[in-house]
Amino acid sequence: MKDFEALKSIWHDQIALPKVSHEDVLKKVRKTRSGLASKLLIEMIGMGIAAAVLIYVWIASPFTMWTTHLAMIIFICCCIYYILAIISNYRSINYDKLLDKPEYYINHLKKYKHDRYIFNTRNYNVYSIFLTVGFILFFIEISFMTPLWLTVLGIVLTFLWIALCYFLLMRIYIKREEAKLEEMIQNLERIHKQFEDSEQ
Amino acid sequence: MSKEAQFKEIFQANSKKIYHLCYGYTGDDETANDLVQETFMKVWQNLDKFRNQALISTWIYRIAVNTCLSYLRVEKRQAKDELTDNIIETKGEEISEKNEQVSTLYKCIAQLEENERIIITMVLDELPYVEIAEISGISEGNLRVKIHRIKQKLTELYNRHERF
Repeated sequence: MKDFEALKSIWHDQIALPKVSHEDVLKKVRKTRSGLASKLLIEMIGMGIAAAVLIYVWIASPFTMWTTHLAMIIFICCCIYYILAIISNYRSINYDKLLDKPEYYINHLKKYKHDRYIFNTRNYNVYSIFLTVGFILFFIEISFMTPLWLTVLGIVLTFLWIALCYFLLMRIYIKREEAKLEEMIQNLERIHKQFEDSEQ
Repeated sequence: MSKEAQFKEIFQANSKKIYHLCYGYTGDDETANDLVQETFMKVWQNLDKFRNQALISTWIYRIAVNTCLSYLRVEKRQAKDELTDNIIETKGEEISEKNEQVSTLYKCIAQLEENERIIITMVLDELPYVEIAEISGISEGNLRVKIHRIKQKLTELYNRHERF
């Protein structure tokens, strides 16, 4: 039989040491910072180029129907929304929160995960609906400007791509992400409860 | 003193205890090292805010605790935990008695609730109660009661383990 003091002396006898040095930490800091920044930058530049091309096409092409103009506005808004989502995601990684009391920190994490959950489900559905409506409006004028076979081919390929993304690729991604986030939220709620219980 | 020199000093003074906390929380050496690295990366990013603070160690512990709490086990990590357990059991005869006692102690800590693991590793590392209360955000009165309960629970778990 051992008492707590005996356990304490076992604890102090341990020789285990961390296998990381301060140099390893600094190396990782530099690598991670540039990795994250460049990933975000590439995504933002990609979307920025897409928005610029859309604006150019809108100005340079002789579109006459209001449906096309509305379609272009929808497409550009989708690009801007995507860029804003990237920026907001980046800003939500807030290091100040780390200095909060654990109970508040857990609450912040729970909220963050919940926001991601909403973003991946509801917001993506709205985004897809807007893109689909945009393409429908866009192809109305295109059907008057191009041969029928080309219009049909354009419509078929575009909607096949949207359907593939929405019904297959994104469903798989959302299902996995949803399960993971749901599990994380449940875990965070359980841990949060431990800190609430401590105050009783 | 340059930022890097200050960081080196802070790392050398605190990394061992932070490693104990992370190892106690995860029960896995590799993950504990990852969490130590993550904690000190955040320390580096927050270093300017610590300047002129009397007790830097309290803030480092706070970051380590929050980093540990945000570490959530997913399937792959669980599989690794089981593997670590297996290694400890199969190599049990080879390792010295002291190491065996330490590994049993870590196994028992792993059976506690998350916040209990964090508190008890700080108690074992002999941090003053005022500091533990500040780090965990629990009032000192509640903390004393809690620590008493956790000590009993851990001792019971350890003695039960030793009997088998």
